[in-house]
Amino acid sequence: MAMATTTATNSDVLVTTEWVQNHLNDAKIRLVEVDEDKKAYSEGHAPNAVGWAWDSQLCDTQLRDIVPQAKLEQLLGESGIANDTTIILYGDNNNWFAAWAFWQLKIYGHQDVRLMDGGRKKWIAEGRELVTDAPAVKATTYKAQRPDFSIRAYLPDVQQAVKAKAAQLVDVRSPQEYSGEILAPPGLPETCQRGGHIPSAKSIPWGKACNEDGTFKSANELQQLYGGQGIDGTKPVIAYCRIGERSSHTWFVLKYLLGYQTVRNYDGSWTEWGNLVAAPIEKP
Amino acid sequence: MKPEEYTQRKETLAGWPVTIVSYRLGTTYHVTVENNDPGAWVVKAQGSTKQDAEHKAITEATGLLAKIKQSPPPNRCTSVPGF
Repeated sequence: MAMATTTATNSDVLVTTEWVQNHLNDAKIRLVEVDEDKKAYSEGHAPNAVGWAWDSQLCDTQLRDIVPQAKLEQLLGESGIANDTTIILYGDNNNWFAAWAFWQLKIYGHQDVRLMDGGRKKWIAEGRELVTDAPAVKATTYKAQRPDFSIRAYLPDVQQAVKAKAAQLVDVRSPQEYSGEILAPPGLPETCQRGGHIPSAKSIPWGKACNEDGTFKSANELQQLYGGQGIDGTKPVIAYCRIGERSSHTWFVLKYLLGYQTVRNYDGSWTEWGNLVAAPIEKP
Repeated sequence: MKPEEYTQRKETLAGWPVTIVSYRLGTTYHVTVENNDPGAWVVKAQGSTKQDAEHKAITEATGLLAKIKQSPPPNRCTSVPGF
């Protein structure tokens, strides 16, 4: 299917708001809104979009873990998504949790997943239609692939990255979180015992990858942003933030817009590392 | 319904740079205060007028953000009761 032109390099994973507008009734496409603010969807969403809750439907609610395979299969089936459906994700906070959903869908091998560039905010800023009714969905039977954890970093991977320089670490939080001046983004709950960052991590806040309207910057700009800090794709990269959603956004940029081969998202992130007993921490 | 009267401006609340976004959906004004860095929404409010919604959002956001600056330095033990 023809894709809209975007400023980024890989339009197979990125569509514009205009493209979405023109495909709202396409039966092969399922539009999904994933917000940090769980009330946002009910206040108004793009027509025919289903809503997913990141903290109940996209995770294991008992363990701290990503969504289990059977639960994901049920969610996708109930959302009318088949294995050959094109899933378009969008959400608030410049697609933080949309990117989180994207990452999980790639772990479970869904072939065609894309982000709506600019997310919910751009859709609203452009005055596009919002509805409050959830769409009528014909359920399907979805079968996920076996999970591919090569795009996920666990604590031992990060410890090895620190110890043996096995991978480059990118801290995508704000500079004040990186420095340890604050423990959480302003206005959000503090969920760690210590401030600072993982030793050797480069500070490249996720938002630097975005334009003012929330869309992704051009490939050249992204290459300069990350390459300028030595993150050029020649070595494995691990991105982290506080709980793994902002780093999903950066993971998306590095993996799909810049085409870096080995990029992993450390979803344990600072809420894991910053709570570990005796874990090394750098603090300028 | 289509969102109308969309506006966005930058301000500083309690020392923190924020973006205030407002729009009207039907008869309701929606206002969001976002921190500029990292770019997350902090407070949302609704009102029958833009002024009303903004006042609610800014008041709540200012109170919330002011608490951040009053937190103990993070190099102290944060597991003590009362933190």
